[in-house]
Amino acid sequence: MGYFQSFLRQFRARLILIIFINNALIVADWYVVDQVVKLTGVWALVAIIAVPLLAVGIIPWISTNLLVQPTKFLWQAILHIAPHNTENVAAPKLDQLRLGRELVTNLINQVYQLASVVQAVEQSDSKRAQVLNPDFAVNALPLPLLVLDKEEKIVLVNELAAKYLGKSIADLTGQNFFTALDLSFRSDDTLSNWLKASKGKVVTADHKWERVRIGLPGQGDSLQFDLAGHYNRDNPLGYETLLILFDHTEVYSQDDQAMSFVALSVHELRTPLTLLRGYIEVFDDELGPTLNPEMKEFMRKMNASAQQLASFVDNILNVAKIEDNQLTLQLHEEDWKQLVETVVRDLNLRAGVRGITIKTDIAPNLPTVGVDRYSIYEVLANLLDNAIKYSKGTSEIYVTTMVNKDGLVETSVKDFGLGIDASILPHIFVKFYRNHRNRAQIGGTGLGLYLCRAIVDAHGGDISVNSKVNEGSTFTFTLLPYAKIADARKTGNNPAVVRNAHGWIKNHSLYRD
Amino acid sequence: MDNQGTPTAAPKRILCIEDEHFISELYTRALTKAGYLVDVQLDGQKGMAAAQTDVYDIILLDLMIPNITGIEVLRTLRDPRQTPKMHAKIVITTNLEQREDIRADIEKQADGYLVKAEITPKELVEFLSHLDF
Repeated sequence: MGYFQSFLRQFRARLILIIFINNALIVADWYVVDQVVKLTGVWALVAIIAVPLLAVGIIPWISTNLLVQPTKFLWQAILHIAPHNTENVAAPKLDQLRLGRELVTNLINQVYQLASVVQAVEQSDSKRAQVLNPDFAVNALPLPLLVLDKEEKIVLVNELAAKYLGKSIADLTGQNFFTALDLSFRSDDTLSNWLKASKGKVVTADHKWERVRIGLPGQGDSLQFDLAGHYNRDNPLGYETLLILFDHTEVYSQDDQAMSFVALSVHELRTPLTLLRGYIEVFDDELGPTLNPEMKEFMRKMNASAQQLASFVDNILNVAKIEDNQLTLQLHEEDWKQLVETVVRDLNLRAGVRGITIKTDIAPNLPTVGVDRYSIYEVLANLLDNAIKYSKGTSEIYVTTMVNKDGLVETSVKDFGLGIDASILPHIFVKFYRNHRNRAQIGGTGLGLYLCRAIVDAHGGDISVNSKVNEGSTFTFTLLPYAKIADARKTGNNPAVVRNAHGWIKNHSLYRD
Repeated sequence: MDNQGTPTAAPKRILCIEDEHFISELYTRALTKAGYLVDVQLDGQKGMAAAQTDVYDIILLDLMIPNITGIEVLRTLRDPRQTPKMHAKIVITTNLEQREDIRADIEKQADGYLVKAEITPKELVEFLSHLDF
């Protein structure tokens, strides 16, 4: 309660007391007159009739209009300046005063003066209250900030956050955070996973994410920022999770431009490749029959090399996309046997020119798999390409696929070549990692296996290797049967499950019921 | 126009909108050998005007072409207000890497989407022979 209101209450109580005393004095006064009349006796009868008359009619009239009026006016003035003047009391008309006009005017002036002092005090008081108000602190922060409650509902948004996110505070407040904002993270280290891990297990936790986006990657105007989160289970105000955004849209979008540089370079590389492959085909078709076997073999090798270059260009592009969180997978139901056979057929030329035969052993009745056709093609093509490169004089490569004991579709590519030293095995899926022993003999960039693992991971599968030096290597990866992926997909409006190479592309929203 | 399969079937006409001369040359060669009649346009503006005459059965459309981009051409050809008569199948032939969402959008409007570096001229012929008329 404000100062003024308490002042008013006290003032009112005193005023009532004054009026009461005032009236009591008047009654006492008339009692004295009554006694005098009694003594005279003659006036007794007159007094008996007159006193009640006076008491009922005249005295109230006098006290109301003459004696009480000053206090009434005073009261009216106070009501008038009251901040919660609900009865619309007007300022007293002082010229109507019959008694003690000067005194009352003075008093009322003092009341008005006092009121202005009270108002000033009250204002400074509310200012102090505002300093303590969380809203004030939140809005004073020069960074976008959001606060979530236990249900992950947005309970507090500062003005900067609303402005940054292009929404109004009212639009955001009360919304489920993950419904209101479509965040994507670079890995499955997402906000929702962190919250899930923190809730019920710890009292407080802090975490930081880099390169978080609003919306999907590739959207030109998407915001990019680092995100800091503070979790506090027992916050008395229910402010369980505090999130602060550090905008880096400008810096990170420069990386997007680096991405478009890669895309453009790939376009420039592909044009001569298209021609090379076109001309090789024309020569092969039309000159082939006239060529001697050696020339014919050269033609085949040229063709295989052009093909290899084309897939390498695709590798560069895909690695760039993974780095930039732009490799989006659309998981559809596919016939795995047919896909494997397509890849093997396409790689046969490359194997053939090195005297290698690719043999397949595909288990009957394989379930359909949930894969991104283009990306999974590259996984198998890269594994086969490696097997061809590292076969070292051996003449067979086996591609085996079956359902494993966990019900996953397991595919292996086995060669009988160089093999990989045990000390190197743990590193082979790392980007740019190359076995120094082979570096001089066998070409490569160290992108292929990195790409394979990223794509297989994104499919929800696993990739592993088993190898012995001089005996060969077996690379094995698993894929989920489509039925399992379809189970996981609860939202009906998305024909395919969308993932990126770092995990789920959409934070929380994909599996939200 | 829908006389596919009749003994008197006229050869199918293809418009190749492609600014890389060597590529269009290779494609023309392979497609002509396969029995198609091929016209080439090197830029978007002229390519679109030619396409709107509606004499072609198949349009091969590159996306990176001068004057008007292939995406713009595709949109115009698929818009009945701007191109009221259009029976041709449109196949995108490009080496440009698209963002997935843009690619999906283009694929929706076109009858095929091919990355040129990934196919040979003969494979293009093979692909076109499977187009459903």
